[in-house]
Amino acid sequence: MARKSLTPEQKQALMTMRERMGGISEPKKEHQKQLVAARKAIRKMLSEAPASVPQLAAALHLPTDETLWHLTGMRKYGFVTEAGEDGDYLLYTLVQGEESTAGH
Amino acid sequence: MTTSANGNNTYRPDAIIVGAGIAGMQSALDLADQGLQVLLVEKDSSIGGHMISLAKVYPTLDCASCITAPKMSASAHHDNIRIMVNTEVRGIRSVRGSHFVKLFKKATYVNFDKCIGCRLCEYACDSEYPDPFEMGLGAKRAISVPFTNAIPQKAVLDPELCTTCGSCARVCPTDAIEYDQQSEEVEIETDAVVVASGFALNSLGVKSQYHALQNKNIMTALTMERLLAPHGPYGRVLRPSDGKVPSSVAFVLCAGSRDASIGVPYCSRVCCMYAIKQAMLLSGALPIADITIYYMDIRAFGKGYEQFYQNAKAMGINFVRGKVARIDPIEDGDLSLHVESTEEAENILQEHRHDLVVLAQGMVPEWNPSISTPVAVASDGFVATPSLTAPTSTSADGIFVAGVASGPKDIVDTIAEAGAAAMQVSRYLYQKRAAATPEYALGPALVG
Repeated sequence: MARKSLTPEQKQALMTMRERMGGISEPKKEHQKQLVAARKAIRKMLSEAPASVPQLAAALHLPTDETLWHLTGMRKYGFVTEAGEDGDYLLYTLVQGEESTAGH
Repeated sequence: MTTSANGNNTYRPDAIIVGAGIAGMQSALDLADQGLQVLLVEKDSSIGGHMISLAKVYPTLDCASCITAPKMSASAHHDNIRIMVNTEVRGIRSVRGSHFVKLFKKATYVNFDKCIGCRLCEYACDSEYPDPFEMGLGAKRAISVPFTNAIPQKAVLDPELCTTCGSCARVCPTDAIEYDQQSEEVEIETDAVVVASGFALNSLGVKSQYHALQNKNIMTALTMERLLAPHGPYGRVLRPSDGKVPSSVAFVLCAGSRDASIGVPYCSRVCCMYAIKQAMLLSGALPIADITIYYMDIRAFGKGYEQFYQNAKAMGINFVRGKVARIDPIEDGDLSLHVESTEEAENILQEHRHDLVVLAQGMVPEWNPSISTPVAVASDGFVATPSLTAPTSTSADGIFVAGVASGPKDIVDTIAEAGAAAMQVSRYLYQKRAAATPEYALGPALVG
């Protein structure tokens, strides 16, 4: 994906938008921090072996519903896929090509 | 001054349709096909309404998006229809037979004329939140196209979720991102208005005895629709609390309607049939699961509905007549339903265990009566229709209503009523213009 530099006008507009929003709120910063940490941990664990929601949640100390939500987002954007079943639960694994970026 | 959707002051549609769900789109198409200019206003980022999020429709089990998507596409491509999404109606004032509709167009931070819907901005964004289209079960990014078959296929940036990292503008191939875009208020003059604002479901918390707000495994029927949809958040039916494939699913009918204690004494008319439909779809998706419907009475009033109900019973769906008094969370995320049976002489008080529960919440109006309009609402909050013989007329001359905005009804009735509203508008405009210009009565084409 080609990335361009922002023009001075875009930078100024972005700053104005941030000011209008009153800056980045603490809950938003905290949400983003936890999102990045959880996704990194899930990727790392799935790079080793497929895992189910309860297995990931137990190993990473995350609530099971949040773990499922992360996997749902990662599946939507093409990072994980289903890899069979373990009893009543699905197993998830990284899609091919994503293993090399696990932990990043 | 009257300003227009595209910024100039010459645009004056024959009719404005408030709401671009199935009712609004049907009314718009029927009017536009008669040569009338229509402005279709939608508060969300895509047209399609609730129906585009449904899995299938009853009693035919046709794919819902296969019915809705062609109407969305036809509306978007019709020469006589102009669409404004992300736009709320803030008021309607009527002056000497004309209606001035005040619209609030929310900033999308994306220039729709430049956006090509490539989604590169969405892929570059790293801020993810629960997706309202997926009832919070899926994830969406701060800038995203609303959903796969959304119309228009344009990205929308949500400033509440954006971290202002600038990634979207860096990857946009058409420079469509406009961080300095402002929301704006416009007022558009028209001769007729159709209110097709649809419905919302009442809160899962209306019956505190069900503990639904505290439990991920108790959901509304619209959430179950997303789980059953082919492109739903999980791609299959899973339990939201932990991803378990459910083995015992309960539907609780009349959970948010026919109950004066929660302020919804009326019947929502569609719950019995969509619960039966969802139960049938679930029995296909989860062949070994037990599926139970707890009901007060089954209201299968439409053509083919009774047969649909009988088919569900023949498929092994378990119907229990009784009222669910309480739902308690128990171990492993399961739920215990305390039921008062009304079909057994003994064993009246029963307890049943399920691992997923769908509550048939009541339909409540989406129309906001607090905005300034001449449209009266009835005691139930839906748009009032003073005449029993004119179900699409409202208390205001030249303002009509279609679909669930005037009261709960199913898709079939909604589409039929939307067509009736369009004909009412057409007739109203003809009479009004013929009165003003006698030559018009000979044929609109003669006066251009």
